[in-house]
Formats: sequence, C-alpha cells, structure tokens
Amino acid sequence: MALNKEISEKRRRQCAKLIEISKDIVRQALDRFKPEELGVTWTGGKDSGLTLWIIRQVCLEKGISLPKTMIIGEGDEFEEIDQFVEKIKKEWNVPLEICRNEDVLKAAHYTLNALVNVEELNERNRAELKRIGFDEEEFPFEAESYAGNHLMKTVVFNEFLERNKIKGIFQGLRWDEHPARFNDEYFEKKEGGYLVPEHTRIRPILHFTEKDLWDAYAAFKIPYCGLYERGYRSLGAKTTSQIAVEGVPAWEQDLENTEERAGRRQDKEKAMERMRKLGYM
Amino acid sequence: MEVMSAGTERGIPGIVEMPLAVERLSNGNTLIADAGDEAGFGSEIVEVDPMGNIVWNYNEGLRFAHSGRRLRSGNTLITDTTNNRLIEVTPDKKIVVNSDDWGGGTGRLSDGSHLHYPNEAFEMEDGTFLVTDRNNDRCLQVDRKGDVIWSFGGKELHHPHHANPLPNGNILVSDSDGNRVIEVNRNKEIVWSYGDGSIETLWWPRSAVRLPNGNTLITDSKNHRLLDVTLQGKVVWKFQTEHVDKFYISHATEQGTFLISSTDGHHQVIEIDRARNYVWTFRNYRRPFPLYSHLTNGFFKNRAEKGEPEHWIFATRLSEGGGKLLWDEQNRPRPCPGIELDREGALFLQQAIAFEPGALYRVGAEIKTEGVEGSACLQMDFFDAYGGSMFQDITKTPWGEILSGTNNWTTDSFEFRVPPQATYGELRLFLNNKGRAFIKNVMLNRI
Repeated sequence: MALNKEISEKRRRQCAKLIEISKDIVRQALDRFKPEELGVTWTGGKDSGLTLWIIRQVCLEKGISLPKTMIIGEGDEFEEIDQFVEKIKKEWNVPLEICRNEDVLKAAHYTLNALVNVEELNERNRAELKRIGFDEEEFPFEAESYAGNHLMKTVVFNEFLERNKIKGIFQGLRWDEHPARFNDEYFEKKEGGYLVPEHTRIRPILHFTEKDLWDAYAAFKIPYCGLYERGYRSLGAKTTSQIAVEGVPAWEQDLENTEERAGRRQDKEKAMERMRKLGYM
Repeated sequence: MEVMSAGTERGIPGIVEMPLAVERLSNGNTLIADAGDEAGFGSEIVEVDPMGNIVWNYNEGLRFAHSGRRLRSGNTLITDTTNNRLIEVTPDKKIVVNSDDWGGGTGRLSDGSHLHYPNEAFEMEDGTFLVTDRNNDRCLQVDRKGDVIWSFGGKELHHPHHANPLPNGNILVSDSDGNRVIEVNRNKEIVWSYGDGSIETLWWPRSAVRLPNGNTLITDSKNHRLLDVTLQGKVVWKFQTEHVDKFYISHATEQGTFLISSTDGHHQVIEIDRARNYVWTFRNYRRPFPLYSHLTNGFFKNRAEKGEPEHWIFATRLSEGGGKLLWDEQNRPRPCPGIELDREGALFLQQAIAFEPGALYRVGAEIKTEGVEGSACLQMDFFDAYGGSMFQDITKTPWGEILSGTNNWTTDSFEFRVPPQATYGELRLFLNNKGRAFIKNVMLNRI
C-alpha cells in the first residue's frame, strides 16, 4: 500500500534531505559496529517502519543484508499489523525474530486480564518485577500496565540484546513524539548493569516530525499498515490503541496542534493556566 | 528501603526554610519571615545579625507566616497567613494585638469580614495598620481594634501582595494574579501602574517599593528577577538569576543595596548591590526530609505512626489551611492513601528520591479521583544542590495524565529525563483545588 498524497517537488527535496541525515546515522552505526552486532526494533508501526526502510536503503547501497530485527509479541496484537509485518518480512527479506515473554504469557494462560501469580514466574521475571518496585503477589495480564509493559517489552528487549550479542540497536523514536524525548541523542550509550546488557541505542529518525514522516511516506512510496488510513495515529496494543479521528487518515489529521498519543489529557491548557497561577510554585 | 541521606528534625527554631518578607532594621540586623517547610512546620519570624546569628525569633502557633515588620515601638507585627490573623508581639514575645480578638472574639473586622490569607502588614504614620488581605482581594487600613478605616480592592486586585504606604500618602500594591503593580491614592484612583497583564512583562509580582529617586523596584517573582522601573514605565536596571531562584520580597536598604528573599528556591536571603554583587547572604537551611536511594513503599504496605504512608510526606504548606490525608480502607488487596482538599491551593503526597542526572526513567501509578475541580496528576520535580527546583515553573515539570472530575482507577505512566544538574527529585501526587485523589501501585525504574 502506498500513500496517496500530493507532494510538491520542494517538499520532496526537503524529505529527501531528512532521509539523508538518517541514512548518515545508519552509515555511522555501520562504521562503529559490525553488521552482526547491530539490531533493529520494529513494531509494524509508522516510526519503526520508516527506520527499517531507511536502514534497508543503506544496506542495499552497501550490498549487505538487514541486521537482525526484533518485534515484540505482547499477546494483544492487531491482525492488520501481523499481516503487514508478514508481508514486509517476505518482500524485504527481514531476518525477523518474534520476541515474547513466554513465561509471563504461560502464567496468564495467554488470556488478557488474567491474573498472573508472581510466584509462578521464573527467577528473571521475578527479579525484574522487584527492580521496578512491584510489590504484590499477582497482577492482571495487560501489556500496557506498568508491570505488564516492563515484562512484555523492556525485559524482552534486553533478552534480545543478550541472546544475539547486540551492541547497537536501532530505534524509531522521534523528538516530537513525547516531551521526555526532546533531549534524546542519535547515539546513546547505555551502561550495562543489573539485568541490563551494555548497548548503544541508535535513533536515525529523531529529527522527523509526525508531518515530515507522513510526507516522506508519500514522497517515497514507503509501505505502511492500513490501520493508519482508518484514523489511528499511534499504534500500540490492540485493546489500548484508539482511533484519533474516525475515518480520517493519520496524515490528514491536525498533526501540529493535537496530541499524537490519544489519552485522557483533559483540557490541558486550562490545567496549565491554573497551575501557572499557583503561588510559590 | 535505603535512606541515602537522612533529613533533620522538622521545625527547628532558627532554621529558615522558606524566607518571605525581609527587612533591614535600623540596628543593622535583618528581620526575616520564614514560612516554614513543606509539611507545615517551622514557620517563624527571625532576626539575624550581620554575622548570621539568630538574635530573636517568634514561632508560637505560626502557620505559613508571610511577614514580620518591626514597629517603631520595638514590637513586631506579623501576618500569620494560614491562621488568617494578624498579631503584634513584644520583644519578650507577648501578644498585644491579635485580630482573632476583634469582633468580640470572632475575629471579624468592623465591616463584618474576616482576614483571609493575609500576607503583609505595615504600620502607618498614625499607628494604624495597612494589611494585604490576599484571598479577599483587597488591602485595608485598620486600627488596633479592627475598625476598617480605608480599603481598596474588589475588582481591581487579584490575590494581591505587599501593599505598602508611600510618603505621598498613596499605596503601592502588587496585584499578583493581575500581573501588575499599581499605585493607588486615598480616593482609590490608580495613579500609576506597571505591567500589561502579560507574563512577559510581570509574572506574579510579589512586591514593589518606591526608591528615593522616584523609581519603583519590583520583584517579578516568577520571572526570577528584580526590575527598576521609572515613573514612565522604562526598565532601567534589572537583576535576574537562573530559574531556580523564586524571589519573594525585596527591600531597599539605606545603603542602596537590595535584600531579596529567595523563597523555597534556594532557601536563602541575599543582599546585592547595583553592580549585582552579593554583599551578604543568609542561609542556614537543613533539609528536613530524607532522601531515598530508590522509590520506597510505592505499594503503601506500611503506615507510619501518624497515619501517613511510611516514607512519604504529606505536604500541606500550600493548601491554605485545608487538606486531609485519607485512606480508602475498602481498596483491595489493601487500603490505599488519598489526599483531599476543600479549597483553593495545592496539596501533595510526595517522596524525595536520588536520581542519576541525565538519565531517562519511567514512573507509573494508578490514580483515582473524586469530584476534582482543579486537577490531579502524578508529577516529578527536580532540585539542585541548594534545593532549588530545576524548572522555570510547575508547568515545565514532567507529569502524567491530568485528571479532573471523577475518574475510576486510571493507570498512568510517563517517561522523563533527569536534568543534568539535579541532585534529587520529588515524586508527587499533586492535587489542586477541591476534590479527592487516591493513589496506589507506584513504580519507578531507569530505562
């Protein structure tokens, strides 16, 4: 599926420039690490999709195959994403590893919201729960809960690095997607520590805004998952992702003045105004 | 649980946690109104000599006292802000005027009203008092028996501070929420003003004094600066520091220097000259709360003796006299704490934790609200080595979902990066205005 949107020649050149910056980050990564020491995180969503496409361009240019790519199976996936991932995997010959926390899935009987008994988990998962301060005997299996998110994503990510001896891992993060990301760097070295292997996070598309990203998709006919056409702007787990504007493709929404991640941020400006008026703060 | 750095006892007399009003006395000493710590302890008026010795203090029953002014008689006039009263005490600490006694012991003034969050009081030439009555949006002149002689406010003032009499008989008052400073004559006409209401010009000005040359020195509090403004409204001099200083009251000394209280920013009083040199500072702050190496008791399994969750601080300093800590005893698998406010202001349940500067973390909790008229959220703040917040203002701090109204248990988590200069952070459940907010299952880890 290719995005059908008119892109001017000027805009195309701007997008090409943004992609060139990203490709240069990928080239630098290949200078620093051996191809087999690199990994890619993919979700089937728009950010990691663009990242993977850019990495592929550089790999084609250098005549090497794509680095080992991980996708996290949370047990709550959209079928549309699964199908899209399967299709791209074949077309691009992606060395894909579907990574799941089988131990947790088993304890939850592969059922959303089932109670997971902490005692039934393996030692590593118990240690991970302790690390985040989790202090109960059980929790409902839900990928987006704090504990669920940690076990199903962070732990699986670290295990992928360990298992494949990955030293540099590509991520599809962008500066404008979340305030906490404003100061992220293209290369960030993570010191190894308890339960965390030493690695470098590589973020080639940090400088893309949401609008840049969609324009690049349109200008270069980059494939994407059809859910974005139905109004989703941000894709996560199936039960917690919400359509932002029904029937309006993501790229036609008001990307600059509304929140990319749907949430319950009620009347944020009003709350800000109230807080600005709080004395002594 | 690991206490990385223990705090001191709370409310130690003589320790200045949050300096507000300051003045240089004729004997060369400095009188400081200390509003106390975040949990509501330690408010007092202290007199400090040039060497930094505490030579006098008054701390009986004060709550968030904003001002202490030395009278011609040698007594001290105090606005006991959260207690909604005005008292005059002698050097040997006897109360000779107490606004609680007015109106036959009701505390009412002759116009039937009651002081509400007063933050400043000066003695006028004739021995009456000029009081800034913040939450009644007015300033008023009263005698020692509570008879109102003159008042100004209503529509013209919005949470004012620091009304002070000028030699020409007019009053200079900081219209703090109106983001302006005004001079008013006895006929209640505004004869001079500065500030167009925008926060770029003045943001929550909290004091203004007229200088001998006719200019006005304004403490532009949330912009962390002092401005010297001519009668024509031209800024001819300014003093501005890093964002961590929140200036409160400035005082122009006879020597031409300026005394500034840097409230809870750096917990200090500084004296600067026109060349912006620090010519004197006073700081004896000792952190009264412990610092943990990691989040502790995030699942609220333990309660401390007084009923608050162990290792958490119930911070009431800004709750304007209201604020309750609650437990939802019905919650399963165990009760969880909540905070309730029945008025304006802010309330916190918080813990101070050491963080790795520059590192990225994730924090999460479940929050439930009931009838919140303002907002409730999970929030982080970070502090430098002097205890000053690293952020320009509260709206710049990392926070999660902002909840208002009634919400059933909501999972909230967000990522944040620790500012490079931070030495510790505070994780808080924040509530402002009326309502209740409950919290459980707080988790935190570096990512």
